[in-house]
Amino acid sequence: MKALLRQSALLVVLALLPAAVQALYLREKIPWQSRVAESDFVEVDTARGWGPNVIWIDARPSDEFERDHVPGAVSLNEDRWGEGLSQFLATQWSPEKKIVVYCSAASCNLAEDVARRLREEAKLPNEIRILKGGWEAWLAKK
Amino acid sequence: MKRVIAILIGALFIYAGAVKIIDPVEFARDIDNYKMLPWKLGVGLALYLPWLEIFCGLALITRILFRGSVFIVTSLMTFFIVASIVAKARGLDVSCGCFGHASKYLNFSWHLALDFLLLGGLLLLWKRPAPAT
Repeated sequence: MKALLRQSALLVVLALLPAAVQALYLREKIPWQSRVAESDFVEVDTARGWGPNVIWIDARPSDEFERDHVPGAVSLNEDRWGEGLSQFLATQWSPEKKIVVYCSAASCNLAEDVARRLREEAKLPNEIRILKGGWEAWLAKK
Repeated sequence: MKRVIAILIGALFIYAGAVKIIDPVEFARDIDNYKMLPWKLGVGLALYLPWLEIFCGLALITRILFRGSVFIVTSLMTFFIVASIVAKARGLDVSCGCFGHASKYLNFSWHLALDFLLLGGLLLLWKRPAPAT
C-alpha cells in the first residue's frame, strides 16, 4: 500500500513539472479569467440597433430553431456543421455584415463554439459576436 | 494477456494526453462544459491532466511505477465516468474531449461503452502481482 501511494505521488509530482513549464510558456495565450472575452459578447439592444447590418445565426439544435427563432436568423449548429456552413456561405453570408450567434441561454456554450469555428475554421472576416443571454434574453426583450 | 492490455491502455493514454497538450484551451472548454469547476481551476486541470495521462501511459508500458499508474488511471476513469453520467443527467450536452477533436464524433453511449471497457481492462491489471521497480 505504501509503495502504491509513493508511486502515485511521484507520478502526480512528475506531471506537475512539464505542466508548469507549459503554463509559463502559454501564459499570454491562455484566457485565465473567463472562457469568453467580454468584448466577444453583444447585448440584445445593441445587436437589434444594428438593424439590417447583422446576420443572426441560431446555434441551437434544429428542432429548437424550427419551433421559434430570431426573425431572419439562419440555423447553423455543430450537428450539421459542414452542410449548414456551405449553405450559409452560398446564400446568406456577406462580408460587410456583422454576425451575431446565439444559443438558448447564458449557460449554453453552443453559440461560443459556433462563433469560434466561424472565426478559426471558416476564417470569416466579419465582426462575430455572441448574444449575451442568448435566446432567453431575446425573448425577455421581445 | 495482461501485458498486452497494459500496453494498449498505456498507448491510449499517451495519445489522449498528447492531443490535449496541443490545445489546452480547447480541453479547458471541454472541462468547463461539465459545469463542475470554476473556469480558472478548469484551465489548471487542462494544463495538468494531459501530462499526468502521458506519464501514467508511459508507466503502464514500461512497468516503471506500474501500480501507482494503474491506481491513478483507474481513479481518473472512475471519476470521469461518474462526471459524464452526472452531466448527462443534468441535461448538459458535453463532449468529453478525452481524445481531442476525435471525441466529437463519438456520442455519449459510445463514450460510456469505451470508458467501461477501459475500466474493465484496468481492473484486470489490478490483479497482477506488483512488478519489481
